[in-house]
Amino acid sequence: MSTSPASDHPPLPQPELLAAIPRMRRYARVLTGDSSRADDLVQEALARAWEKRRLWAAGSDLRAWLFTVMHNVFVNQRALARHEKLHVSLDAEGEGFEAWQIPVRPTQYTRVELVELIQHVGRLPVDQREVLVLAVVEELRYEEIAAVLSIPVGTVMSRLSRAREKLRAAFADPVAGSSPLKVVK
Amino acid sequence: MSALPITDADVNAYVDGQLAPSRTPAMEEALVRDSALAARVADLRLQNAALRDAFDPWLAEALPERLVGATAGLAAPRRRTVPRWLGLAVAAAASLVVGIGLGWFGRDLDLNREGTPTTFTRQAALVHALYAGDVNRPVEIWAAEEKRLVNWLSKRLGFAVRAPDLNTLGFALVGGRLVAGNEMPTALFVYENADKQRLTLQVRKPAVPGGETAFHYALEGGVGVYYWIEENCTYALSGNLDRAQLLAIGRVVYGQLAALEASPPK
Repeated sequence: MSTSPASDHPPLPQPELLAAIPRMRRYARVLTGDSSRADDLVQEALARAWEKRRLWAAGSDLRAWLFTVMHNVFVNQRALARHEKLHVSLDAEGEGFEAWQIPVRPTQYTRVELVELIQHVGRLPVDQREVLVLAVVEELRYEEIAAVLSIPVGTVMSRLSRAREKLRAAFADPVAGSSPLKVVK
Repeated sequence: MSALPITDADVNAYVDGQLAPSRTPAMEEALVRDSALAARVADLRLQNAALRDAFDPWLAEALPERLVGATAGLAAPRRRTVPRWLGLAVAAAASLVVGIGLGWFGRDLDLNREGTPTTFTRQAALVHALYAGDVNRPVEIWAAEEKRLVNWLSKRLGFAVRAPDLNTLGFALVGGRLVAGNEMPTALFVYENADKQRLTLQVRKPAVPGGETAFHYALEGGVGVYYWIEENCTYALSGNLDRAQLLAIGRVVYGQLAALEASPPK
Protein backbone atom coordinates (compact mmCIF):
# COMPACT_ATOMS: atom_id res chain seq x y z
CA MET A 1 0.00 0.00 0.00
CA SER A 2 3.03 2.22 0.32
CA THR A 3 3.49 4.89 -2.31
CA SER A 4 7.20 5.15 -1.65
CA PRO A 5 9.91 2.51 -1.67
CA ALA A 6 10.51 0.83 1.66
CA SER A 7 14.02 2.17 1.87
CA ASP A 8 13.05 5.84 2.02
CA HIS A 9 9.79 5.45 3.90
CA PRO A 10 10.02 7.70 6.95
CA PRO A 11 10.14 5.79 10.21
CA LEU A 12 7.59 6.35 12.94
CA PRO A 13 8.73 9.49 14.77
CA GLN A 14 10.49 8.77 18.02
CA PRO A 15 9.14 11.54 20.26
CA GLU A 16 5.57 10.75 19.31
CA LEU A 17 6.12 7.05 19.77
CA LEU A 18 7.59 7.69 23.22
CA ALA A 19 4.63 9.84 24.10
CA ALA A 20 2.18 7.28 22.75
CA ILE A 21 3.31 4.22 24.71
CA PRO A 22 1.88 5.28 28.09
CA ARG A 23 -1.34 6.26 26.32
CA MET A 24 -1.50 2.88 24.62
CA ARG A 25 -1.12 1.20 27.99
CA ARG A 26 -3.92 3.28 29.40
CA TYR A 27 -6.24 2.55 26.51
CA ALA A 28 -5.31 -1.15 26.69
CA ARG A 29 -6.24 -1.22 30.36
CA VAL A 30 -9.54 0.39 29.61
CA LEU A 31 -10.17 -2.28 26.97
CA THR A 32 -9.04 -5.31 28.95
CA GLY A 33 -9.71 -4.16 32.51
CA ASP A 34 -6.55 -5.96 33.54
CA SER A 35 -3.10 -4.46 33.67
CA SER A 36 -1.13 -7.54 32.73
CA ARG A 37 -3.38 -8.43 29.80
CA ALA A 38 -3.18 -4.78 28.83
CA ASP A 39 0.58 -4.99 28.54
CA ASP A 40 0.28 -8.11 26.38
CA LEU A 41 -2.06 -6.18 24.15
CA VAL A 42 0.29 -3.17 23.89
CA GLN A 43 3.16 -5.47 23.05
CA GLU A 44 1.15 -7.22 20.35
CA ALA A 45 -0.07 -3.90 18.99
CA LEU A 46 3.47 -2.48 18.80
CA ALA A 47 4.55 -5.55 16.83
CA ARG A 48 1.56 -5.15 14.51
CA ALA A 49 2.22 -1.42 14.12
CA TRP A 50 5.76 -2.23 13.14
CA GLU A 51 4.57 -4.67 10.46
CA LYS A 52 2.03 -2.18 9.17
CA ARG A 53 4.11 0.96 9.58
CA ARG A 54 3.78 1.86 5.90
CA LEU A 55 0.06 2.37 6.43
CA TRP A 56 0.69 5.22 8.83
CA ALA A 57 0.36 8.55 7.00
CA ALA A 58 3.38 10.59 8.07
CA GLY A 59 2.28 13.78 9.79
CA SER A 60 -1.06 12.36 10.93
CA ASP A 61 -1.81 11.65 14.57
CA LEU A 62 0.38 8.66 15.44
CA ARG A 63 -1.48 8.09 18.69
CA ALA A 64 -4.83 7.70 16.92
CA TRP A 65 -3.27 5.32 14.42
CA LEU A 66 -1.70 3.19 17.17
CA PHE A 67 -5.08 3.08 18.92
CA THR A 68 -6.63 1.84 15.67
CA VAL A 69 -4.03 -0.90 15.33
CA MET A 70 -4.44 -1.90 18.97
CA HIS A 71 -8.21 -1.89 18.80
CA ASN A 72 -8.07 -4.27 15.85
CA VAL A 73 -5.69 -6.58 17.69
CA PHE A 74 -8.05 -6.52 20.67
CA VAL A 75 -11.11 -7.32 18.59
CA ASN A 76 -9.30 -10.19 16.89
CA GLN A 77 -8.08 -11.61 20.18
CA ARG A 78 -11.55 -11.42 21.63
CA ALA A 79 -13.09 -13.11 18.61
CA LEU A 80 -10.48 -15.84 18.84
CA ALA A 81 -11.09 -16.27 22.57
CA ARG A 82 -14.81 -16.65 21.96
CA HIS A 83 -14.22 -19.04 19.14
CA GLU A 84 -12.00 -21.21 21.27
CA LYS A 85 -14.48 -20.93 24.13
CA LEU A 86 -11.80 -19.86 26.51
CA HIS A 87 -12.98 -19.18 29.98
CA VAL A 88 -11.10 -15.93 29.89
CA SER A 89 -13.25 -12.91 29.30
CA LEU A 90 -11.03 -10.44 27.54
CA ASP A 91 -13.32 -7.58 28.19
CA ALA A 92 -13.90 -8.49 31.82
CA GLU A 93 -17.20 -6.71 32.09
CA GLY A 94 -17.73 -5.54 35.60
CA GLU A 95 -14.64 -7.29 36.88
CA GLY A 96 -10.97 -6.71 36.83
CA PHE A 97 -11.06 -2.99 37.45
CA GLU A 98 -11.51 -3.65 41.14
CA ALA A 99 -8.25 -5.49 41.39
CA TRP A 100 -6.05 -2.71 40.14
CA GLN A 101 -3.60 -0.80 42.18
CA ILE A 102 -4.81 2.53 40.98
CA PRO A 103 -2.50 5.51 41.32
CA VAL A 104 -4.69 8.54 41.66
CA ARG A 105 -3.38 11.97 42.33
CA PRO A 106 -5.09 14.09 44.94
CA THR A 107 -7.26 16.68 43.25
CA GLN A 108 -10.57 18.30 43.95
CA TYR A 109 -11.91 14.77 44.34
CA THR A 110 -10.69 12.37 46.93
CA ARG A 111 -8.78 9.29 45.98
CA VAL A 112 -11.72 7.15 47.03
CA GLU A 113 -14.08 9.01 44.74
CA LEU A 114 -11.78 8.70 41.76
CA VAL A 115 -11.18 5.00 42.37
CA GLU A 116 -14.93 4.58 42.57
CA LEU A 117 -15.33 6.43 39.29
CA ILE A 118 -12.78 4.19 37.59
CA GLN A 119 -14.67 1.16 38.86
CA HIS A 120 -17.91 2.52 37.47
CA VAL A 121 -16.19 3.01 34.13
CA GLY A 122 -15.01 -0.60 34.40
CA ARG A 123 -18.59 -1.79 34.74
CA LEU A 124 -19.64 -0.19 31.49
CA PRO A 125 -19.75 -2.49 28.44
CA VAL A 126 -16.42 -2.31 26.64
CA ASP A 127 -17.88 -0.64 23.56
CA GLN A 128 -19.17 2.21 25.71
CA ARG A 129 -16.14 2.65 27.91
CA GLU A 130 -13.70 2.75 25.01
CA VAL A 131 -15.69 5.55 23.38
CA LEU A 132 -15.96 7.42 26.67
CA VAL A 133 -12.24 7.28 27.35
CA LEU A 134 -11.23 8.15 23.79
CA ALA A 135 -13.59 11.13 23.76
CA VAL A 136 -13.10 12.49 27.25
CA VAL A 137 -9.66 11.42 28.40
CA GLU A 138 -7.83 11.26 25.06
CA GLU A 139 -9.95 14.08 23.64
CA LEU A 140 -10.13 12.57 20.17
CA ARG A 141 -12.66 14.05 17.79
CA TYR A 142 -15.75 11.93 17.18
CA GLU A 143 -14.68 11.35 13.58
CA GLU A 144 -11.29 10.09 14.80
CA ILE A 145 -12.97 7.74 17.26
CA ALA A 146 -15.20 6.43 14.48
CA ALA A 147 -12.06 5.72 12.45
CA VAL A 148 -10.26 4.04 15.37
CA LEU A 149 -13.21 1.75 16.08
CA SER A 150 -14.43 1.34 12.47
CA ILE A 151 -17.96 2.40 13.37
CA PRO A 152 -20.19 5.27 12.17
CA VAL A 153 -19.98 8.61 13.95
CA GLY A 154 -23.63 8.26 14.97
CA THR A 155 -22.75 5.06 16.82
CA VAL A 156 -19.88 6.82 18.59
CA MET A 157 -22.28 9.48 19.80
CA SER A 158 -24.99 7.12 20.97
CA ARG A 159 -22.48 4.97 22.88
CA LEU A 160 -20.96 8.06 24.45
CA SER A 161 -24.35 9.30 25.47
CA ARG A 162 -25.26 5.95 27.07
CA ALA A 163 -21.94 5.73 28.89
CA ARG A 164 -22.38 9.19 30.36
CA GLU A 165 -25.92 8.60 31.47
CA LYS A 166 -24.89 5.37 33.18
CA LEU A 167 -22.11 7.10 35.06
CA ARG A 168 -24.46 9.88 36.06
CA ALA A 169 -26.99 7.37 37.28
CA ALA A 170 -24.31 5.47 39.19
CA PHE A 171 -23.35 8.59 41.06
CA ALA A 172 -26.95 9.55 41.64
CA ASP A 173 -27.41 6.22 43.39
CA PRO A 174 -28.04 6.61 47.12
CA VAL A 175 -25.17 4.20 47.80
CA ALA A 176 -22.82 6.74 46.28
CA GLY A 177 -24.81 9.57 47.75
CA SER A 178 -21.91 11.07 49.64
CA SER A 179 -19.96 11.65 46.45
CA PRO A 180 -19.69 15.20 45.12
CA LEU A 181 -19.92 13.66 41.65
CA LYS A 182 -23.59 12.92 42.16
CA VAL A 183 -26.11 14.54 39.92
CA VAL A 184 -26.77 18.12 40.89
CA LYS A 185 -30.42 18.80 40.44
CA MET B 1 -39.95 28.69 18.73
CA SER B 2 -36.34 27.88 17.96
CA ALA B 3 -35.65 26.02 14.76
CA LEU B 4 -34.25 22.71 15.97
CA PRO B 5 -34.56 21.23 19.46
CA ILE B 6 -31.38 20.48 21.38
CA THR B 7 -30.50 16.80 21.04
CA ASP B 8 -28.37 14.44 23.11
CA ALA B 9 -25.77 14.63 20.39
CA ASP B 10 -25.67 18.43 20.77
CA VAL B 11 -25.19 18.16 24.53
CA ASN B 12 -22.36 15.66 24.17
CA ALA B 13 -20.63 17.64 21.47
CA TYR B 14 -21.00 20.83 23.51
CA VAL B 15 -19.34 19.45 26.64
CA ASP B 16 -16.57 17.93 24.51
CA GLY B 17 -15.93 21.20 22.68
CA GLN B 18 -16.97 19.59 19.41
CA LEU B 19 -20.28 21.27 18.71
CA ALA B 20 -20.52 22.73 15.21
CA PRO B 21 -20.30 26.54 15.34
CA SER B 22 -23.66 26.74 13.59
CA ARG B 23 -25.33 24.95 16.51
CA THR B 24 -23.62 26.89 19.29
CA PRO B 25 -25.98 29.88 19.41
CA ALA B 26 -29.02 27.58 19.70
CA MET B 27 -27.26 25.66 22.48
CA GLU B 28 -26.33 28.77 24.41
CA GLU B 29 -29.80 30.16 24.07
CA ALA B 30 -31.28 26.89 25.35
CA LEU B 31 -28.90 26.87 28.33
CA VAL B 32 -30.21 30.23 29.48
CA ARG B 33 -33.81 29.18 29.09
CA ASP B 34 -33.65 25.60 30.36
CA SER B 35 -32.20 25.15 33.83
CA ALA B 36 -32.42 21.35 33.69
CA LEU B 37 -30.31 21.38 30.55
CA ALA B 38 -27.83 23.75 32.18
CA ALA B 39 -27.59 21.42 35.19
CA ARG B 40 -26.97 18.46 32.91
CA VAL B 41 -24.21 20.29 31.05
CA ALA B 42 -22.61 21.27 34.36
CA ASP B 43 -22.78 17.63 35.54
CA LEU B 44 -21.20 16.35 32.38
CA ARG B 45 -18.40 18.88 32.57
CA LEU B 46 -17.74 17.83 36.15
CA GLN B 47 -17.82 14.21 35.02
CA ASN B 48 -15.29 14.97 32.26
CA ALA B 49 -12.95 16.67 34.71
CA ALA B 50 -13.25 13.78 37.15
CA LEU B 51 -12.53 11.21 34.43
CA ARG B 52 -9.36 13.05 33.42
CA ASP B 53 -8.28 13.34 37.03
CA ALA B 54 -8.90 9.61 37.45
CA PHE B 55 -7.18 8.38 34.31
CA ASP B 56 -4.34 10.85 33.74
CA PRO B 57 -2.10 9.59 36.54
CA TRP B 58 -1.81 6.26 34.71
CA LEU B 59 0.38 8.02 32.19
CA ALA B 60 3.05 8.70 34.77
CA GLU B 61 3.42 5.07 35.77
CA ALA B 62 6.68 3.31 35.07
CA LEU B 63 6.54 0.72 32.31
CA PRO B 64 7.08 -2.80 33.64
CA GLU B 65 10.35 -4.46 32.75
CA ARG B 66 8.40 -7.22 31.07
CA LEU B 67 7.07 -4.77 28.52
CA VAL B 68 10.31 -2.85 28.21
CA GLY B 69 12.16 -6.11 27.62
CA ALA B 70 9.60 -7.34 25.15
CA THR B 71 9.62 -4.15 23.13
CA ALA B 72 13.40 -4.17 23.16
CA GLY B 73 13.17 -7.68 21.71
CA LEU B 74 10.97 -6.30 18.99
CA ALA B 75 13.77 -4.01 17.92
CA ALA B 76 16.29 -6.84 17.71
CA PRO B 77 17.55 -7.25 14.15
CA ARG B 78 15.62 -10.40 13.32
CA ARG B 79 15.34 -9.18 9.77
CA ARG B 80 17.60 -6.94 7.83
CA THR B 81 14.77 -4.50 7.33
CA VAL B 82 14.41 -3.71 11.02
CA PRO B 83 15.67 -0.16 11.30
CA ARG B 84 17.38 1.39 14.20
CA TRP B 85 14.65 3.85 15.12
CA LEU B 86 12.62 1.43 17.16
CA GLY B 87 15.63 0.20 19.08
CA LEU B 88 16.63 3.76 19.81
CA ALA B 89 13.16 4.76 20.80
CA VAL B 90 12.75 1.78 23.04
CA ALA B 91 16.20 2.19 24.54
CA ALA B 92 15.42 5.83 25.29
CA ALA B 93 12.07 4.89 26.75
CA ALA B 94 13.62 2.10 28.77
CA SER B 95 16.39 4.21 30.20
CA LEU B 96 13.98 6.92 31.20
CA VAL B 97 11.31 4.64 32.44
CA VAL B 98 13.50 2.21 34.31
CA GLY B 99 15.11 5.22 35.91
CA ILE B 100 11.74 6.38 37.06
CA GLY B 101 10.80 2.90 38.12
CA LEU B 102 13.73 2.79 40.45
CA GLY B 103 13.51 6.33 41.58
CA TRP B 104 9.83 7.04 41.73
CA PHE B 105 8.96 5.98 45.23
CA GLY B 106 12.27 6.84 46.78
CA ARG B 107 12.55 10.23 45.16
CA ASP B 108 11.85 12.39 48.12
CA LEU B 109 13.83 10.13 50.38
CA ASP B 110 16.79 10.62 48.07
CA LEU B 111 16.29 14.34 48.15
CA ASN B 112 16.18 14.28 51.90
CA ARG B 113 19.13 12.05 52.44
CA GLU B 114 21.60 13.10 49.83
CA GLY B 115 20.46 16.51 48.76
CA THR B 116 21.22 15.36 45.21
CA PRO B 117 17.99 15.14 43.29
CA THR B 118 19.14 12.74 40.59
CA THR B 119 15.76 11.09 40.44
CA PHE B 120 14.08 14.45 40.14
CA THR B 121 15.94 15.01 36.87
CA ARG B 122 14.83 11.63 35.59
CA GLN B 123 11.28 12.46 36.39
CA ALA B 124 11.71 15.84 34.72
CA ALA B 125 13.08 14.15 31.59
CA LEU B 126 10.27 11.62 31.48
CA VAL B 127 7.64 14.27 31.95
CA HIS B 128 9.31 16.30 29.23
CA ALA B 129 9.35 13.36 26.81
CA LEU B 130 5.76 12.48 27.63
CA TYR B 131 4.20 15.90 27.19
CA ALA B 132 6.56 17.87 24.93
CA GLY B 133 6.41 14.88 22.57
CA ASP B 134 2.65 15.01 22.52
CA VAL B 135 1.87 17.03 19.42
CA ASN B 136 -1.85 17.44 19.97
CA ARG B 137 -2.28 17.73 23.69
CA PRO B 138 0.92 18.81 25.39
CA VAL B 139 -0.96 20.97 27.85
CA GLU B 140 -4.24 21.06 29.67
CA ILE B 141 -4.72 24.82 29.59
CA TRP B 142 -3.40 26.72 26.59
CA ALA B 143 -1.47 29.99 26.71
CA ALA B 144 -4.55 31.91 25.54
CA GLU B 145 -5.79 31.44 29.12
CA GLU B 146 -2.47 32.09 30.80
CA LYS B 147 -3.98 33.90 33.73
CA ARG B 148 -6.36 31.06 34.49
CA LEU B 149 -3.50 28.59 34.08
CA VAL B 150 -1.22 30.43 36.48
CA ASN B 151 -3.99 30.93 39.04
CA TRP B 152 -4.96 27.28 38.90
CA LEU B 153 -1.39 26.01 39.22
CA SER B 154 -0.65 28.45 42.06
CA LYS B 155 -3.71 27.23 43.88
CA ARG B 156 -2.82 23.58 43.40
CA LEU B 157 0.84 23.99 44.35
CA GLY B 158 0.07 26.24 47.30
CA PHE B 159 2.33 29.10 46.26
CA ALA B 160 2.49 31.72 43.52
CA VAL B 161 3.72 30.11 40.31
CA ARG B 162 4.67 32.20 37.30
CA ALA B 163 5.30 31.38 33.67
CA PRO B 164 8.45 33.19 32.56
CA ASP B 165 8.29 35.08 29.27
CA LEU B 166 10.77 33.52 26.84
CA ASN B 167 9.58 35.33 23.73
CA THR B 168 12.86 37.23 23.46
CA LEU B 169 14.58 33.86 23.10
CA GLY B 170 12.13 32.79 20.43
CA PHE B 171 10.14 30.46 22.68
CA ALA B 172 6.45 31.19 23.09
CA LEU B 173 4.37 29.76 25.90
CA VAL B 174 2.16 26.91 24.63
CA GLY B 175 0.41 26.40 27.94
CA GLY B 176 0.71 24.24 31.00
CA ARG B 177 -0.66 21.49 33.14
CA LEU B 178 -0.49 19.88 36.52
CA VAL B 179 1.66 16.75 36.65
CA ALA B 180 1.25 14.04 39.24
CA GLY B 181 4.27 13.68 41.49
CA ASN B 182 4.22 11.08 44.22
CA GLU B 183 3.37 13.40 47.06
CA MET B 184 3.81 16.81 45.54
CA PRO B 185 2.09 18.11 42.46
CA THR B 186 4.30 19.71 39.82
CA ALA B 187 3.43 22.58 37.52
CA LEU B 188 4.52 22.10 33.91
CA PHE B 189 4.90 24.94 31.39
CA VAL B 190 5.53 24.08 27.75
CA TYR B 191 7.24 26.48 25.33
CA GLU B 192 7.77 26.16 21.61
CA ASN B 193 9.89 28.01 19.05
CA ALA B 194 9.33 28.58 15.33
CA ASP B 195 11.09 25.29 14.54
CA LYS B 196 8.56 23.46 16.76
CA GLN B 197 11.27 22.66 19.28
CA ARG B 198 9.81 22.42 22.73
CA LEU B 199 11.13 23.33 26.13
CA THR B 200 9.46 22.53 29.40
CA LEU B 201 9.77 24.18 32.78
CA GLN B 202 8.68 22.19 35.80
CA VAL B 203 8.09 23.84 39.13
CA ARG B 204 7.38 22.24 42.47
CA LYS B 205 8.02 22.64 46.15
CA PRO B 206 11.31 21.16 47.24
CA ALA B 207 11.15 18.11 49.47
CA VAL B 208 13.41 19.89 51.93
CA PRO B 209 12.63 23.55 52.46
CA GLY B 210 15.55 25.93 52.77
CA GLY B 211 19.04 25.17 51.63
CA GLU B 212 21.20 27.14 49.26
CA THR B 213 20.41 27.84 45.64
CA ALA B 214 22.31 25.42 43.47
CA PHE B 215 22.40 24.89 39.72
CA HIS B 216 22.86 21.54 38.09
CA TYR B 217 22.80 20.01 34.67
CA ALA B 218 21.97 16.43 33.78
CA LEU B 219 21.44 14.51 30.56
CA GLU B 220 18.73 11.88 30.89
CA GLY B 221 17.92 9.68 27.92
CA GLY B 222 18.88 12.40 25.46
CA VAL B 223 16.92 15.10 27.24
CA GLY B 224 18.96 17.90 28.77
CA VAL B 225 17.72 18.97 32.19
CA TYR B 226 18.96 22.14 33.85
CA TYR B 227 17.66 22.46 37.37
CA TRP B 228 18.03 24.59 40.40
CA ILE B 229 16.65 24.57 43.89
CA GLU B 230 15.70 27.66 45.72
CA GLU B 231 14.47 28.19 49.19
CA ASN B 232 10.85 27.41 48.41
CA CYS B 233 10.91 26.08 44.92
CA THR B 234 12.57 23.56 42.63
CA TYR B 235 12.81 24.29 38.91
CA ALA B 236 13.71 21.96 36.05
CA LEU B 237 14.13 23.24 32.54
CA SER B 238 14.22 20.42 29.98
CA GLY B 239 14.75 20.29 26.27
CA ASN B 240 16.52 18.55 23.41
CA LEU B 241 18.99 21.42 23.23
CA ASP B 242 22.70 21.41 23.84
CA ARG B 243 23.98 22.22 27.25
CA ALA B 244 25.12 25.78 26.48
CA GLN B 245 21.74 26.73 24.97
CA LEU B 246 19.86 25.25 27.86
CA LEU B 247 22.05 26.98 30.42
CA ALA B 248 21.59 30.32 28.63
CA ILE B 249 17.82 29.91 28.71
CA GLY B 250 18.00 28.76 32.32
CA ARG B 251 19.79 31.96 33.30
CA VAL B 252 17.07 34.04 31.67
CA VAL B 253 14.36 32.07 33.47
CA TYR B 254 16.17 32.39 36.78
CA GLY B 255 16.72 36.13 36.29
CA GLN B 256 13.10 36.75 35.40
CA LEU B 257 11.72 34.78 38.29
CA ALA B 258 14.11 36.53 40.70
CA ALA B 259 12.98 39.90 39.37
CA LEU B 260 9.32 38.91 39.68
CA GLU B 261 9.97 37.70 43.18
CA ALA B 262 11.36 41.09 44.10
CA SER B 263 8.33 42.97 42.78
CA PRO B 264 4.76 42.28 43.84
CA PRO B 265 2.49 40.77 41.18
CA LYS B 266 0.36 43.22 39.28
